[in-house]
Amino acid sequence: MEGTFSGLNDLFSTVTSQAMLKAALLIAAATLLIFLIQKVVPSIANRLGGKPRLFLLASVPLLRLLIIVVTIIVVIPILIEPSFENMVAIFGTLGLALGFAFKDYANSLIAGIVTLYEMPYRPGDWIEVNGKYGEVRSIGTRAAEIVTPDDSVVLIPHSTLWSALIANGNDGSDNLMCVAQFHLQPGHDIRRVMALLRDVAFTSPYTKTTQPIVVVVAQQPWGMTYRLKAYPLEPRDQFQFISDLTARGMETLQEHALPLTPPAFLLAGPDQ
Amino acid sequence: MQDENDATRAGLPLGQLIAMEQWQVPERSVQRTVKGAIRHLMVQLRQEIAPEGEPFQSLDGLPPLSRWQQQRIAPYPDYRAQAQTLLTSLQTLRTRGTLDREVALIVAPPFSGLRQSLCQLPTLAGEDGTQPWRLLQPPDELCISAERARRWWDEQDLSQPWVVAELADFWLRHPTGLALITELLRRIAADETGPGIVSCSSWCWQFWASYLPDAHLGPVTPAPLDAQRLGQWFSHLASPRGERPLVARMAEDGSYVLPSEDPVDAPHRKHAGFLRDLAIAARGNPGVALAIWQHALRARPEEDTETEEQATAAEGKHQECWVVRMDQLSLPTMLQTYDRTIGFVLHALLLHDGLDEAALEKVTGAGAAPLQLALARLARADIIRKGKRSHHWRVTPLGYPTVRRHLQSWGYPVDPFQGE
Repeated sequence: MEGTFSGLNDLFSTVTSQAMLKAALLIAAATLLIFLIQKVVPSIANRLGGKPRLFLLASVPLLRLLIIVVTIIVVIPILIEPSFENMVAIFGTLGLALGFAFKDYANSLIAGIVTLYEMPYRPGDWIEVNGKYGEVRSIGTRAAEIVTPDDSVVLIPHSTLWSALIANGNDGSDNLMCVAQFHLQPGHDIRRVMALLRDVAFTSPYTKTTQPIVVVVAQQPWGMTYRLKAYPLEPRDQFQFISDLTARGMETLQEHALPLTPPAFLLAGPDQ
Repeated sequence: MQDENDATRAGLPLGQLIAMEQWQVPERSVQRTVKGAIRHLMVQLRQEIAPEGEPFQSLDGLPPLSRWQQQRIAPYPDYRAQAQTLLTSLQTLRTRGTLDREVALIVAPPFSGLRQSLCQLPTLAGEDGTQPWRLLQPPDELCISAERARRWWDEQDLSQPWVVAELADFWLRHPTGLALITELLRRIAADETGPGIVSCSSWCWQFWASYLPDAHLGPVTPAPLDAQRLGQWFSHLASPRGERPLVARMAEDGSYVLPSEDPVDAPHRKHAGFLRDLAIAARGNPGVALAIWQHALRARPEEDTETEEQATAAEGKHQECWVVRMDQLSLPTMLQTYDRTIGFVLHALLLHDGLDEAALEKVTGAGAAPLQLALARLARADIIRKGKRSHHWRVTPLGYPTVRRHLQSWGYPVDPFQGE
């Protein structure tokens, strides 16, 4: 250990103040560039719709990683001679420091790099992690930020990736399935209701009709539960879409005098 | 001679039909596609930065054609002749085996002129010794039950030749507005009707092909117009009998736009690439191409005052006009907004080939006030226009390219004529 630190002392003894200034300027420029990218690209992306928006949002963390790697490659030769021994000394020391002092932070940093490679979520994706659902707004070095439907920002450390189950609704695409539920009392024409609900989905202006529209039905203690599954035009329309399906669906079922299940039954069961 | 779209180049270019799978974007150009994509991106990025634009205006100093000059040089086509070409083309497809059903389904992009042509079919009665065609009009009430729809179709005489000029008139995108088309398509699929022709807007067909995925009715479509066909067509429009051929030259360098029929003169002429750019911008759509062509034509200042008598007196001479470069044309641009109501309105208008306010309210679910505001903004930008007699709002042919592009980027299902 002592040898390593004395090696490091030797390594940095040759660093001049001019080199330090140059390196500092480069790091400052890289930081500024990353800051600008993180501000400008998402704001441009949010003016676009569909796939261009998702592509631009997903490019932010990749661009940041690229800038960091390029900066390291450029800065190190300015400060020290990039020989094999020097590299081993530098990275060995950094590894020790990170391993002992910043174990969790390093864990998240590494998971962050894995996130960029495996892409379990990207900016613009709608994910659920540990019961929190929202749109990934940004992917930082240590954590991802999601915005919930109630406009709260939740920080999810990348290290969660190792242990938690992550549900991704659209997985980098602009197709996100939504489900509207309808509960009816027994004793009605099930096929007719399925056809009516399919028409409801096809005629909603929010529906992406090029994607499948499915109605599934299940028997429950209080009667039948219908789940109408369809895709909105864009993932960010999902809540208006489900509301529209629900409103139109209820109107249609009421027009056809179909027996809706009272809410009390859903909460307490048919015996109450 | 046939081209990549399998349509013959002989005869009138309008009304020639091909199988839908054979449709291709005419005149592909990487440069044009990239330029178009960048322009589209820039328009979207101007959101909330630039104030909303005024209605489009001419960007050059040359005077546009007067109404009389436009009717002389770039008039609307003869839809009766197009109807005759359609019938001939359908007969050719039947002979070739491409079309083997009693009922021909023609799917065409908006502004293809199919509705106007098919409305002329009853006037061709007896000319070729066949039975007269009967034009079917939709009922006043479109939101009806399946039972009422069956009864309504039972009342129509479908055993004799019949024609539906636009299928989009027979439905509303509402849970109760689907019955008429569902029943008609069922009857066609079951071969329960006599000979008929159904024309359907490509946007409407996109919906119905998703709604009834098993409806394999072998649709055919008008062949798209490439630069060569556009040249032939514009020359024919200006001079149907070839007595005073049109000479159109680019305003900036004098190069010729339309092909010359003179075999001696033609090789010495320097031709501009305007028609190629026009075919790409219009995606081979005749109505859109004609609207842009009318918008691009300019008169010489001295011609602007030429009267009908003077023009007639100049019998035997060429007709002359000038053409402005495509990128100098100021075409309608989409509103700088991301508002679902705007998208709903535009998509509904294309799905139904035009709607009035009451039907729009029903289809989009938008309230009367937001709907009126959206319609007013779109009309001010010359993207939609209200019909004087029908009171139906429709997308304008000049606004259609930008509407299609924006709806696609906003996630809406667009018509099946892709291929960019």
